[in-house]
Parts: sequence; C-alpha cells; structure tokens
Amino acid sequence: MAVSPLSSLSPSASDTAVKLTCAVNLQDNAHSPLITHSTGRELAEQLNDDVRHKYIKDKKLGEGTYAVVYLGHLRVDPSSLVAIKKIKVNAEYKDGLSMDAIREVKYLQELSHPNIIALHDVFSSKDQNLNLVLEYLPHGDLEMLIKDGNVHYGAADVKAWIGMLARGVWFCHENFILHRDIKPNNLLIAFDGEVKLADFGLARSFADPYLNMTHQVITRWYRPPELLYGARQYSGAVDIWSIGMVFAELLLRVPFVAGNSDLDQISKVCEAFGTPTEDNWPGVTRLPNYIPADKNHTVPIQGREFFLRQFPTAGPVGADLLMSMCMLDPRKRSTARQVLQHKWWFTEPKPTEKENLPRKSDGTQKMGNGLTRKGGEIDDYTFKYTARQLDFNAGE
Amino acid sequence: MAANYWASTQRRHWLFTKEILADIRESFRERDKAAHSQFPLPDQRLLNIYFSQQLIKLGKRMSTRQQALATAQVYIKRFYTKNEIRHTNPYLVVTTAFYLACKMEECPQHIRVVVAEARNFWPEFIAPDVSKLGECEFALISEMNSQLIVHHPYRTLSELQPELSLTSDEIALAWSVINDHYLTDLPLLYPPHVIAVMAIIVAVVFKPSQTSFHGTAAPLAGAMRDGGMNILAALGDKNGTGPPPRIQKLVGWLAESEVDIRAVIECTQELVSLYEIWENYSEKHCKELIGRMIKSKNLDK
Repeated sequence: MAVSPLSSLSPSASDTAVKLTCAVNLQDNAHSPLITHSTGRELAEQLNDDVRHKYIKDKKLGEGTYAVVYLGHLRVDPSSLVAIKKIKVNAEYKDGLSMDAIREVKYLQELSHPNIIALHDVFSSKDQNLNLVLEYLPHGDLEMLIKDGNVHYGAADVKAWIGMLARGVWFCHENFILHRDIKPNNLLIAFDGEVKLADFGLARSFADPYLNMTHQVITRWYRPPELLYGARQYSGAVDIWSIGMVFAELLLRVPFVAGNSDLDQISKVCEAFGTPTEDNWPGVTRLPNYIPADKNHTVPIQGREFFLRQFPTAGPVGADLLMSMCMLDPRKRSTARQVLQHKWWFTEPKPTEKENLPRKSDGTQKMGNGLTRKGGEIDDYTFKYTARQLDFNAGE
Repeated sequence: MAANYWASTQRRHWLFTKEILADIRESFRERDKAAHSQFPLPDQRLLNIYFSQQLIKLGKRMSTRQQALATAQVYIKRFYTKNEIRHTNPYLVVTTAFYLACKMEECPQHIRVVVAEARNFWPEFIAPDVSKLGECEFALISEMNSQLIVHHPYRTLSELQPELSLTSDEIALAWSVINDHYLTDLPLLYPPHVIAVMAIIVAVVFKPSQTSFHGTAAPLAGAMRDGGMNILAALGDKNGTGPPPRIQKLVGWLAESEVDIRAVIECTQELVSLYEIWENYSEKHCKELIGRMIKSKNLDK
C-alpha cells in the first residue's frame, strides 16, 4: 500500500490491511481446480473465515450489474460501519473476473490516502464471491450536493472540495496511476466531510512510453479533447481536465459542457474553450479521430476574461486555476502538482474546514448506488458507447 | 508499474527469506509425505524452466508482452508458497496465471482464446469448459490476498541505461538475465532493483561476446564459473587487482549507490547455480513426471 505522506486521517489504519487475507472455500466444490486436503489450505480458509467473521452484513444499500453493496459493521464494534461490496463473480464466471473488479482490487490494495476510498479487507464468501470491505461513506457524493437545490454552498466550500479532490488525484499520479473516471458522483463524502475518490474500475498504471491505451474512458462530459479525438497515448492531464470540469460544475451547479454524443461533446468543447488548431495545439490534426474545424466558424482560444465572466464566484485567481486545467493542449494543462501549488489556495477565502462543509444526511442509499454503478455511467443517463463495452480488447 | 515499491504489498507481504521459503516447502513435505514419495518431481528450478517454457509457448501465440509473462511467473511462485504443487493441476495454474497477468498488465486476452490456446498445447490437462479457468482465477486471486501488482526489474534496467551508458548488447544480455531470474526463487527473495543491478553486472562483466545464449545458458554459466567470481570479489575490494576501467566505473557507481551489494552477490550466485543445473534440464522428464502425477491423482478433473 502506498502510504500517503499526508497525515493519514482515515480510519483505514494500515494495520488492518496488513492482516488482509482472503482465501477461497473450494472444499465442497466437485469442480475444484485444486484438491483440497492440505492443511495449508485449511489454514488459508481459517484466515479467510477470520476476516469474514470480523464483519457482519446488515442491510443492502444498492445493487447493480456488477456488485451488490451492503452496509456492514465490525462484529466487535457495532458502531464501526463499513460498506461491503460483493462482486458478482458467479454472474461473470464465464468470462472470468471483469477488468473493473480486477482494477479496483489491484489499485485500492496499494493506495492509502485520506482522499481515496480505503479498502479495509477482502474476503471470499461461500458462494465464491469476492467481497471488498470498503470505508463507509455515509454522506453521498458531490453530484447530490450539486443537484440539491436546498444545499447552499459558496466559493470557500468549492475550494475545500476541489482541494481534496486534487490531493487524491495527485497521489494517484504520484503513484503512476491514472483514475480515468473522475466525475462528481465518484467523489464520495465521508462522515467528517472529507471527499474521497472512489470507483477505480477504469484506473490503470501509466503505460510504458509508446504503448497504446484505450481512448474510450472517462464519462463523456468529463472527457478531455485529446480522448475525444482518439489519442491512444496520454497522461495524467486527462484526469486534470476532469477535475476542471468538476470544478466548473460545482461553480455553475450544472455540467459545463454536456454533449449528448461524442461528436456533440467535441463541438461543445470547441464552442466553449476554442477551436484546436496546429497553432494552439501542435499535433492535434494528427490525432486519429481529429475533425477539421469548419473554416467559417472557428472560435478563438478563450482567455482569462472568458473564465472570469463565466465563473465569477471563483474570483480572478480561481478562474486562472480553472483555465490552467482546461487548456486544450494536454501538454499545456497544469499537472496535479502544479494545481496544488497554485496561488488560489493561498488567497481569500480560505477553504472551509471539512467539518463545516454543507452536507446531506440521507446519503446512505446513494453510496450503495454509487458503488454498484459501472464506470462511465451517469445515473439517469446511460451512455450507449461508454468505455465498458470496448474495454476488454483495449489494453494494447 | 504502479504505485510505489517501498510501500507496496510486494515488499510488505511477498518478500521472504531463504529460510522461510525452505520452511514452507518442508512443511508441505511433512504434511503429505506419501504424495512426495509417490510423485517425485524435479528440482523446483527445473520445473520453473518447464513452466516458463510452457508460458512462453502460450504467450507467443497471442504475442503477449514479456512483462505479462514475468508477472504470471511471479503469480505461480506466490501461489505455490501457499499450495502444495502435488495437489494442483499445474497446467491449469500456469494458464490461469497467464490469463490473470494479461489482465493485470493491461493486455487482456479473452478467456475463450486463452482456453483454446492452452488446449492446443495440453489437450489432456485443460478442460474445454472456460468456467474452470474462472474458478481457478478466483482461487489464485484469493491465495494472493488480492495483492496483484508486481514490480519488475525491467524498468530499473531501462532507467539505469543512460546513467551507466550501457550498450544495446549489454541491455539485451541484462534483459535476458532478468528473464532468467524468474526461474529461480529470486523474485520472492530480493527487491527488483537489486535484481536489475545484478543483471547489469552480469552483462557488463561477462561481455555480450560470450553470449550466443538463447534458452541454453551453458556458455554463460561456464564464463561465470571460470573468471566471474574473481571479478565479483573485486567488486567488494575496490583497491584490489584493478579490473578494466569499464568495470571500475560500474564498481564506483555501485559503491555510491547504496544498493545492498551483499544481496547483489547472492543473486549472482543464485543465477550461477541456475545455469549449472540448467545443464541437467530435460523437458521430456518434467512433462512425464507432471503428467503422471496429474493423471494418477485425477487432478485434471
């Protein structure tokens, strides 16, 4: 587990993770690939049972195609709540474990940071399902807050949320991991108001130089122009664009560029931020799905005034920061480190203390839904061409 | 590569000492003496050579990246620190490790393709039903405590190339030395950077000219036996007889690098003994013993 240099405030205490054990009960299974009388196996099962018995499953919080999420608690301490995400292995047996499940386990096992959802334990249940014991985050997600007209928030609150998001993303990038699905409903809110990056179902390590990755990632409204143009080699800049879009959405309380198809998304991005050209983005015309701009309708690259006018609540320094995240050319976009070093964090107003951030209290159901959703989906709006359908053949 | 090696599950949970590994294996033997005497298997390293050749066959058909094969080999090793090989169908474990490693290294293959390819090679031991592989995948993940990220020495090698101005021949040789170290227990014993440094030393000290070595490592083993250990001794003693300047440079770098030199030397010795035992390798022998074991214990069912 990559331990954050920041003080670890989460209850994810690495000591629980150290004992992490899961094993599989294949004893009763006639089709077992393993013959099961060794005491080594019994020991492993015993350890698994120990982990499984550490938790009690309470009610179901939500169910999706990929997982069921339960509220649970520690047997020894009913007040210590956890979310148990049971991955439907059997349903997907035919094709092995889905890449989502694999990625989620793979990365959460290694990452420990206050702004990343903590994976406490993994165990298998009798019916051969993989159970992830996750930090319980009862206060819903940022999307809920954005949409709820009864919740009022201001620049200081946005600053606090974006700050926490940027720290989580910085930590991923620092560990060579791209999240690739940053959007408000993947940003869950903890009991104490801390924002936690969740859903690592689309995450991957930085590719080795010159190796291709899929461009079918990140929910459309948060997808950067290089991916819309089909770039197969990209960097952490894709996540930064998504942060920028979340930032804009928090300020406006509606998604800033909400295309209803990939093509529409491209034209809305160009409309909003300017038309990409070889001058402002060298190399853009050579991207696989580049669409030449209509000569009679090119939008000049938007400057500071545009951001100031569009996002007055951010203030001039905040608008600068947002602009630096929304550069069309990914090479000119801020890195996570540069975002964290921006002077906006040092200008008034100070970010709200996390305990004092506006919140909702009925977020329980929401966490259930949030965790069962497949990456790339929006609640009321399932995209036909999201990453998932194409993802399996996409690695190389 | 993802995350940070120093904080990784690999470093915290999957590094053993030689003694602990020996204890684990001894305890397997103690627990099932009958199986051990009834089904003698070749030296673990010879088995590893066999498995890795099977993996390479499988990987070649699907033009898989070396890194995925390396990860699969580490998975197999980890799995067999928890399970007695005589209670498993090694062909299924090899295929599953391959399948899972491809997903982990972001070059996924469809489960049906993997099963079909595996059945090409080992029709007697791999069932056509893909759910077997699915089940075994689940078992593999569970046995590895879902700690799936493996750090490999390859990246350290490419990072050190400019610093030590390694030639492309040396890189190629070091690369194959790294490939070979997966045939030993070294991936369970030492961190990847130590392995990378060892591979570089071997490559620089033993000159690519001596290495027409693909698959058989006899020339290298010979070279290492004859002159190698002297130079290794020189690494420990900077003011010694004075090796050539190129090696001197490497020694100087090592001295400042704070890499555990003792560990590097131990790795080198491990490799030497691998190359020695390699001379006794017989694919046919391994195949027969494993086949007999699987058949008579019905492990393929």
